[in-house]
Amino acid sequence: MNIFSQELKMSAASMIYWTASIVLFVLLFMFMYPPISKDIQVIESILSNFPPELRRALGMTTLDLSQVLGFYGFLFIYILLIGSVYAMKSGISVLSEEIRSKTADFLLVKPVPRTRIVSAKILSILSNLIVQNLLFMFISYIIISSYVNGSLDTRTFILINLSLFQVQLFFAAVGLFLSVLIKKIKTVLPVSLGVVFAFFVIQMINQSLNDPKLAYITPFAYFDVSKIIQNVGYDTSFLIINIIIIFILTALTYIIYQKKDIPSL
Amino acid sequence: MNVIEIDKLTKYYGKARGIIDVSFSVNEGEIYGFIGPNGAGKSTTIRTLLALIYPTRGSARIFGKDIIKDGHNIRKDIGYLPSEVFYYDNMKVIDILKYSASFYENIDKNRINKLAEIMDLDLYRKIDDLSYGNKKKVGIVQGLLHQPRLIILDEPTSGLDPLMQQKFFDLILEENKNGATVLFSSHILSEVQKLCSRVAIIKEGRIISIEDIKALQKNNYKKFKIDMGEAVNDDYFNINGVANLVKNASVYSFLFKGDINQMIDKIHGKKINNLIVEDPSLEEVFMHFYEKEA
Repeated sequence: MNIFSQELKMSAASMIYWTASIVLFVLLFMFMYPPISKDIQVIESILSNFPPELRRALGMTTLDLSQVLGFYGFLFIYILLIGSVYAMKSGISVLSEEIRSKTADFLLVKPVPRTRIVSAKILSILSNLIVQNLLFMFISYIIISSYVNGSLDTRTFILINLSLFQVQLFFAAVGLFLSVLIKKIKTVLPVSLGVVFAFFVIQMINQSLNDPKLAYITPFAYFDVSKIIQNVGYDTSFLIINIIIIFILTALTYIIYQKKDIPSL
Repeated sequence: MNVIEIDKLTKYYGKARGIIDVSFSVNEGEIYGFIGPNGAGKSTTIRTLLALIYPTRGSARIFGKDIIKDGHNIRKDIGYLPSEVFYYDNMKVIDILKYSASFYENIDKNRINKLAEIMDLDLYRKIDDLSYGNKKKVGIVQGLLHQPRLIILDEPTSGLDPLMQQKFFDLILEENKNGATVLFSSHILSEVQKLCSRVAIIKEGRIISIEDIKALQKNNYKKFKIDMGEAVNDDYFNINGVANLVKNASVYSFLFKGDINQMIDKIHGKKINNLIVEDPSLEEVFMHFYEKEA
């Protein structure tokens, strides 16, 4: 419990900054929704000059930008990207930060098993992600509602938003796993950006090529916003794959950390 | 009863040598010295005992329990002071100490204040603003506040001024009087000499000797300096038990371990200008160990 609350104290500010930045992102880009939806024919004729591979890669063929959820869905691709970087950063740093700031000697000589340290730290990430998602969902609901005449399709809205949490869990697990696998991580953010963008690019290629095999290796394809809007639901097999991957990576994190040598100062 | 029992503990970092077949035992209530130059394996041994790193081979027991299997139980009663201390930034000294205290049961809350007073430590300053020496003081208070039965010190005095070192030694001696066992690692022999009853000497990852400090210093070794008044063979004093023989003009100096009468016999009947016989410092004895083994 003490490790958990210490962890929250140290990470709360960062969680608030990242949440504020995605809220700001939605707020700013939603300003562009009214003019775009009004002149959608003009926009589409411009877009039709783009090569179709590029349009598919950017997710512009499957989303209806004249609809508020379609537009939000288009923004959401980038929200997923930012949210994933945050989750990955949290996952990588939560265990490795102790080694980087050389406080591991303080914490690991305390009378607690390492598994309990890992659990407390994972729990702190989970709490941060849950709070972030609730805050973001609440605020973006208010923002999006203000652009809708009539009522918002709440079910679809919630499904889109919950995909953020699930993709974040994936990247948090990848981060945790990498942090115990790599001996000493010097900088967290570049690694997080690199890994998240790599998965993102795979998704762009996947969309562009329509290659069903590629979809299996990137979480951005597991939760394809346009398909969520179309089907008002998730693809069950991808949902399960995501959970299995998270589970395996987390288990490996526990196992490897249990035997990890803490480098001396 | 042995508080620490180390049995052929071996640690390799990949292919690099950490420690090889390290074995020694520390009795309850003892202050045990652990000396050797930098890189000899002192910290590796200590970090293995604390399960910060895992042994490649061998085992060790503390309070009769296995350091790996029962590590977290053993650590309830261990106070550890590393050579360099690091803490979470943006925290006050008191916050760190309270966080540390939260890991132990039955903490006497007054002890933080008492120890801080002895070590002259301001509890309400931020960790970031502390000097190296002051951070060290936080480490000392932090390591002792749960009244550990075993205190492990890894080069503890670096960064402390002489006055603080003395206060620190007094503190350790008092804990020892109250029943705490101490493992004291250092490359500074005079401090080990001051506190410890026995000492393990480590070199290049191996324990090369375990000695009783008093025996090491008083009974065994004598330092001779003889200014000869007549010429003798260069090898004249090179008998069994002599080490570090140096001849400088007519002055022979060396360490001698053995029956002192043997040496008196050698000098007897020779003309000498001057003779000095004294107890060597541990430093000299120690250097002798290293040279002999090299």
